[in-house]
Amino acid sequence: MDEKIVVKNLVTRYGNKTILKDISFSVQQGRITAIVGGSGCGKSTLLKHIIGLLKPASGEIWINGKDITKLSEMQLNDFRKSIGVLFQGAALLNSMTIEDNVALPIREHTHLNEATIKIMVKMKLDLVGLSGFGDFYPSQLSGGMKKRAGIARAMALDPEMLFFDEPQAGLDPITSAGLDALILKLRDIFKMTIIVVTHELHSLFTIADTIVMLDKGELIFEGTVEQFKNAQDDRVKRFITRTPEDENYCPEDYFNILTAD
Amino acid sequence: MKITTEDIPKGKLIMISGEIDMHTSPALRDVLMKLTKKKVTPIIVDLLEVSYMDSSAIATFVEALKNMMSYKGSLRLCNLSQRVSEIFTFAKLNKIFEIYKTREDALKNC
Repeated sequence: MDEKIVVKNLVTRYGNKTILKDISFSVQQGRITAIVGGSGCGKSTLLKHIIGLLKPASGEIWINGKDITKLSEMQLNDFRKSIGVLFQGAALLNSMTIEDNVALPIREHTHLNEATIKIMVKMKLDLVGLSGFGDFYPSQLSGGMKKRAGIARAMALDPEMLFFDEPQAGLDPITSAGLDALILKLRDIFKMTIIVVTHELHSLFTIADTIVMLDKGELIFEGTVEQFKNAQDDRVKRFITRTPEDENYCPEDYFNILTAD
Repeated sequence: MKITTEDIPKGKLIMISGEIDMHTSPALRDVLMKLTKKKVTPIIVDLLEVSYMDSSAIATFVEALKNMMSYKGSLRLCNLSQRVSEIFTFAKLNKIFEIYKTREDALKNC
């Protein structure tokens, strides 16, 4: 199977703090790759690098034969037209109806006739189960419906790749399962390459073809779901069994924290 | 994308080759809108040489079909690749459009 995305030796820093430490992995064409790890491990930062929102301190990200870390802003804008992103809060524009939210990227990036756009938008809304909600505003939708609307907007330009940043966050189990089913449908029907950042175990085991796990900015696992379930790494095991990490308590360090100026 | 049109005993045959995407579908729309304005029927669209079709292409066919319904016209699609056929089925449009396996089948009763 073809590699769609190849990340090589990616390093990123916020100030003096290294957030991603020499990360390398690849994403297969037409598969769902889940990036997992505890809160603050660097998952969302990694995603922002892959979609070209952040530039790394060093390393390469090859997508469709181009290292996107070397692209100019104009080239990045072209690249971004080939991808769809569902951000954590769906990032819909509250002043616009759902229909206009979905139509926005099409109006911005194409010269299509308005009649064509309207039909396309209705198709995307139907795809995510929101037929009849086009005239609603984001504030009138539930959390799950907002996510679905966000997916419809991410799908607006028929992207080759879709990226989801914690799509299940804040959703009830049934809505979350519906979203999983939709993500699988997008892979199977449109042969899309999908990256999902998540820490929801049930969803992970339902949708992922491949798993990449980060811990404190390091890549500690890359493999299939079966390999993940059988991994011997303690950090992977703790993640799967939801076992909290022992607190690394050092009396001197703690005293220094409390008394530092 | 390349579009060729041909007169048939009743109506018009449109042959398309290449990719129908957001850059090329406006040209297809122009052709279809001109024909539907003249109330041409049937319009047969041969998709044998179409390697890729996106949602703007499907929306263009939906709009043409809607226009044709006003004069009870017939829009027939033929020679859909498996991939294109799957997209029509997934979009629940396989039962809405008249879809034929071959051009000969689509041309029957013209």
